[in-house]
This record gives sequence, structure tokens and C-alpha cells, in this order.
Amino acid sequence: MQLLVNGETYEVDVDGETTLLAVLRHDLGLTGSKYGCGEGDCGACTVLLDGRATNSCITPVDSAAGQAITTIEGLANGNDLHPVQEAFIEHTAFQCAFCTPGFIMSLVALFGRNPRPDDRQIRGALTGNICRCGTYVRILQAAKAAAERLGRRGGE
Amino acid sequence: MTITSDLHEDAVLVVTGPPQWAGELELPEPAGPEATLLTMNRQGDTVAFSGKVEYGQSIRSGFTLAIADELDVPLASVQLILGDTDLVPYDRATLGSQSTMTVGIQLRRAAATARRALIALAAERWAVDATSLSTSEGHIFPAGEPSQRVSYADLLQGQNLRLLIPEEMTIKDAEDFVFMGKNLPRIDALARVTGQAKYSQDIVVDGMLHGKVLRPPSYGASPQQIDTAGSERVPGFVMVVRDGDFVGVLCEREDASEQALDAIRVRWRENLDLPSDSDFPGILKETAGEMVILREEGSLAEEFAKADHVLDGSYFIPYIANAPMEPSAAVASWEDGKLTVWSGDRSPFGVRDQLARDLDMREDQVRVIAPEIGGSFGTKGTVSVAYEAALLSKAAGRPVRVVHSRAEEFMWGTVRPATLIEIRSGFQADGKIVAWECTAYHTGDLAIRGQRGADTPYNTPTVRIAVADCKSPLKSGSYRSLGCAGNHFAREVHIDEIAASLHMDPVEFRLMNLTHPRLRRVLSQTADRFDWDSRRTESSSGIGVAIGYDAGSYVAECVELVVQRKVVRVQRVVAGIDCGMVVNPEGVRNQVEGSIIMGMGTALREEVEFDAGRLLNPVFSRYRVPRINDAPQIEVVLAGDPTTPSTGAGEPGIVPIAAAIDNAVYNTTEARIRDLPIVPRLP
Repeated sequence: MQLLVNGETYEVDVDGETTLLAVLRHDLGLTGSKYGCGEGDCGACTVLLDGRATNSCITPVDSAAGQAITTIEGLANGNDLHPVQEAFIEHTAFQCAFCTPGFIMSLVALFGRNPRPDDRQIRGALTGNICRCGTYVRILQAAKAAAERLGRRGGE
Repeated sequence: MTITSDLHEDAVLVVTGPPQWAGELELPEPAGPEATLLTMNRQGDTVAFSGKVEYGQSIRSGFTLAIADELDVPLASVQLILGDTDLVPYDRATLGSQSTMTVGIQLRRAAATARRALIALAAERWAVDATSLSTSEGHIFPAGEPSQRVSYADLLQGQNLRLLIPEEMTIKDAEDFVFMGKNLPRIDALARVTGQAKYSQDIVVDGMLHGKVLRPPSYGASPQQIDTAGSERVPGFVMVVRDGDFVGVLCEREDASEQALDAIRVRWRENLDLPSDSDFPGILKETAGEMVILREEGSLAEEFAKADHVLDGSYFIPYIANAPMEPSAAVASWEDGKLTVWSGDRSPFGVRDQLARDLDMREDQVRVIAPEIGGSFGTKGTVSVAYEAALLSKAAGRPVRVVHSRAEEFMWGTVRPATLIEIRSGFQADGKIVAWECTAYHTGDLAIRGQRGADTPYNTPTVRIAVADCKSPLKSGSYRSLGCAGNHFAREVHIDEIAASLHMDPVEFRLMNLTHPRLRRVLSQTADRFDWDSRRTESSSGIGVAIGYDAGSYVAECVELVVQRKVVRVQRVVAGIDCGMVVNPEGVRNQVEGSIIMGMGTALREEVEFDAGRLLNPVFSRYRVPRINDAPQIEVVLAGDPTTPSTGAGEPGIVPIAAAIDNAVYNTTEARIRDLPIVPRLP
């Protein structure tokens, strides 16, 4: 089966029922998406399918074939970080950071469909992501900073 | 996975000393034998070594800033090696908010020792007095003449310095810091936002297999019959490993190992006589062991008889799951009789020593490396996943990775002890406390777990503080501010009850009964920032306060919340912390914010439910940890004096929060909830 991941086409030889997370981590060596619960409860495995935030741990890989898959590894353009990544660094919006890729991907999906989300919409987009270190206050600050930056870019 | 090879090979300056130092304070454990703490090579690059591990608390940044400041070198020239038993000095475990206090300060002294030696080399070269020289960014120059500078690298040519940290070695004052005390990005930030940070589940070794271990459906269950024929039909199956009741499957892929595990047919004998959570809290008193008296002064009976009022309160805190986002995982690899294990454990040396005992090996035949750790909060201090990987790897003759499932993490990790606390207080009509009797029952093997924070900081002429351990139906383990958070919940709610019964303001009441200067200061500053007096009279929301102490630090928290039917929405928290001199202000704020969010979970909804040996809610959808919608506005007030030594910051913030929330709920609903969690018990 062919997969389009971070702009590159990969040929993988796996059962269609295999989870997308397992294929990304095991077959493609993209370990930035994390196994946190395997049940879609925690969001640590979040990736984008055609721009939509998706729990890759409960997504059969055959249902992702034919869609553009984006993982945390595919966000930065060379050394140019995505504005959400930059904002996470500036606000230290993490501690152990195990959940960080998932939060960043959920926010990137939100900004893709709504470049100027308000606080309620940001929280709504992140309810499926758990940060046990409790850095939510910083994640909200980083999300607002990224929204402002993206809004300015959009207005240029 | 490549292992950094000999880091000492090109070292031309080596500083040794015991890995810990606490000055005039008492060390919580022996300082340890002398070891290499810091080296510099000919290029002037620094490598420092510590047995501590990074599980999110930002110790890598804190140590790096401290070393760069004491050495006067650029941050990028300092490399820190953490938690690798072949490379770093022995360390028992990363716990108790001790790292900055004892190891961070010793690394500063090691760096200061190196800097002094470099200055001495320059003084000799220029035939001037060492006190006339200054340092900056890896260079030395005569004070006021930075253009005549010489680099550390130049000075180190042809040198081979071996230095022992002198007993009298001094470190810099806060006003001389370049990095410490500033708001700087974490030095490991880039890897963390790009998915490059490697946790145990991300470690890959050539030829690695994936293992899963058979678990009983309930505690105390034993297998009567095991049939693994189905596993063998799973594509990619390699082997079954059996050793008594231990059964593991090995496959070429992780997902295959899950299928192979599911395909094992087992007839279990379960023990249905085990306790259930409905047996709480009675079971705690019934199974209590010996009572340890922590403090006993004066005659309680006399004071209770004389007091204007006597108040009794009984407080219960259920089991709490640590539930770090990263489930436990380990990779084991054997080569020429040496076992290397990557495991995100907070005690790499503890794992090494235990593995050596269990596998009948010498300690130097086992190397344990802690990669990035996805949260601990007190768990991941157990050896099981590393042992499982080692055993399976030995049997297979190939490297093996074992990653626990979320359900395994919930069921076979440890839980915060359940606690019952009974308090009887005697007080006068004017608000003066005259008698305080506190008896605490904490589950677990050692009452010492419940002693932390059990004593009252409030003035009272007569007092008795007693702590007992009691039988634990589930495996009690450590947790953020172990024992201390529960003890504070009971005490600070009880204090609020006294103030309410006398119609006194809770802040004023606390100040009236406190003389401890640091607690008074942190409470006053926090209440001021919160605007306590006007919020208390003007706000239609619930307003609550609590204070506390832990890990040498002092904290106060004020909370504003609303209660709507069965929902508690915490709107604003102001938290003051006095942890002495602050190395990394953003790090301290981040830790206090995280402690508050975590403590909100224990206050409002978290509770491990179990029935006859079965865990009833081992999933995030039923074990309700705080989510982003629960997050309030949080303001952190750094109330410490920069001239007092640094004390713990990772834990103290959790100590008052549950009581502050409970007191605020009472303030708005007049319902006094003495058993946690609050939400299911709202009227």
C-alpha cells in the first residue's frame, strides 16, 4: 500500500488493519507520534489526515491511504519551525513533552481551518489531548501567540 | 542507538568530588564517594555528569545554566550527561525535589573549582595576582581590559589538571549570574517540539524483538492452565518465554506481539475475597500498624477541657493514579555478557543494582541508561519493565523492547496511598488554637510515607501528631509530595472549619496563629496579589485559601471558583512559593502551575476504583485527569529571598491546592466536603 507522509510517498507492506501509529513508528521510523493509551483517549498520537487532527492509534492504516498524512516530523521546513512550534518554545509550553507533538498537531489542524480562533475554540480543539504535567496554561498562551503570528502572516 | 563513547578521553581538566553537597544543611542521604563531576577538553568544551534524570522537571536546563554561570562559559559549550550508570556518579534516585539543593549546588562548586584553576593559570602566565582577573564567555582578562583576553582553550594547551573540589569552595552571588534567574528557553526545547526527543518507546536497537507479558485480570489471580498455541499462528511470531507464572511472547513487530498476547488462552483462578474501594475508609483503621508519634507536647486532655470550643474532623483521600503520559517501557540488549538497558526510570542505579541481583550478575555487568522520561510524579521507580525486557532478551538472544499498555500502566504501576486523617482541635473564642491532635493512617509499608508534612506549622501549646501505616489493597507507591499533600488537605480544611465556626477571615485566622516568618510572608504576598480582602467581600464566586510547606519551601494558594450543579469550575489561582534563591524562574513557575493542575485532579475527580482485586477505571475516559477545559488562570508569585539557599520547587505547589479548592467550595455552597474527590460528593 502507498502512503503519502510529510510530502513523501512510501510503499509499506502491512496488513490494512494495522494502526497508522504502528506503521509510522515501526515501518517509517517516525517516532515523534507517541503511544499514550491506544484508545484515542489521550491525543499523544495525533497526526493530520488531509489537515484533520486524527488519533493515529485507532486509525487503520488502509483508511489513511490516499490522504496526505502529516506528522510532527513534517511540520518544520528545514530549520524553519512552524509558528506553533516556535510559540511552544517561547512559552515553554511543556515539561516532559511526551504529549507535545500531539498538542502541536491538534493546534496546526485548528489553525488550518480557523486562522483566528478564540480561547473557547482553542480549548475545544485540545480537549482530546492530555498533558499530565499540567502545562495547559502555557499551551493556551503558546496557542494564542501562534494565532497572532499566523493572523499577521495571513494579513500580509 | 549509538552510545557516547569515552567522554573522558580528551579531557585536560577533570574535577572530582562527592556528587552531592548541602553545606550546613543536612543531606537526605550520604554524599557518595568521590567521582568525576566535570571535565573540559582542549577546545574548552565542558562535560558535566549527574545521576539525576530528566522527567520534565527541567533539571537539564537548570544544571546547565548553573554550570555555565559558575564557569563563565557560553551555554552551548556545556554538555550534561544524566542517568547513565556507566558514565555518571552514583545517585539513589531523582525524587523529593532534592536535585537543585544537593546536586545542582555541587555541580556549581565543581564548575567554580575549574574556573579558579583556569584563573590561576592565567595569573601565572601574566605574572599578576589572580584577584586582578575577570572571566566572561570562556575567556580571562585583566579586570577592565577585556581586549587583552585569553581563552580557556588556550590556557589548557599542554595542561592535564586533576582537581578535587576544596571544602571551602565558594560559589557566585545572585547579582553575578548571567543565566540563572533569567527567563530563558529550555535548552532541550527544540528536540521536544520537533518529535526528536527519544523516550524509551522510541529506542531502536539492531535486531530488536518486541515483547509482551501476560498479566492476570485481577490482583492475586494465578493461571491454572495456559495455552499459547494461538500465539504461534500470529505472523511475525518468534517465541514464547515461560518461567513459572511468567509468560512472555516475542514477535518481530510490536503490534504482532499484542496480537500474540491476546491469542494466549488462560484459565485464571481469581481471589474474590480482596477488598473493594467501598471498604474505605474503615479498612484503614482496622489494619493500622504501630502508631509513630512525631510530636507530643503538653496535656491535650487538660487543654481540650479548658478550650472554649473543640472541633472534630475526619478526612479521607482515595488512591490516586500517577498516570504519566508515557507508559513504562524498556529496551534490553546483551553483548559479551554485558546487559545494557534503556529505561525511563527515576532511579537508573536502583534498576542496575536490582537487575544485577535478580540476574545474578555483577553491577558492572549491567548498564542502565535513562532516555527522556515522559513524566514520573513518583512512579517509574520500579524495576519490572526493565526486568521483563532483560529476561526476554536473554531468552531470545536478541535485543528486546517491552512497552506497557495504558491498562498495564494503570493496573501494575503504583498508586498514591489512600489516607484517613482524624483531627481534633481545641481553640478559644478569640481564635487562638490551644490544642491540636492529628492521627493519620496512610496505606503502605512504611509510616514514614505519611510523616511528611504531618506536623502543624500553627502555634499551639499542646499537640500530638501520630502516623500509622496500614495494609494497602493496591500497590502504594510514591507520588508528587508523597503523604504531604494528604496531610495538608486535612489540616488546611480543618483550619478553615475553625475559622468559619468563629466567623473569622481565613487569611487573618491563619496569620493570627502563625509565627513562622517565611510562611507569614508567602501567605501575605499571595493574598495581596489575589486581592483577597476585596475578592472575599465582592465576588459572587467561591474564594478559598490554604498554605503549606514541603521540600524546604513554603507555599500559599488562593482560589476563586464557581460551582454549577455537579461541576466545579476553578477560574483563578494565585500561588506564592518561597523556594529560596531561584535558579530558573520559568522552570519554577512551570512546576508550580503543573502542581496546581495535578492537584486539581486529586481534589475534584480522580479516584482509583477497585472491586475484589479488579481495577474498575484503568482508562483515561473513566479515570478523569484534568484536561485543558479545567485549566484556570494561574499566577505564580516568587516570594523567596535570593540570599536563602535554593529549596525544592517541583512538588510544594501541590500541597495546598486541594484544601484551597475545598475551602472555596464551602465558601460558595456551604457544603463542607471532607472526603476527596469533591465533585461526586457535591450536594
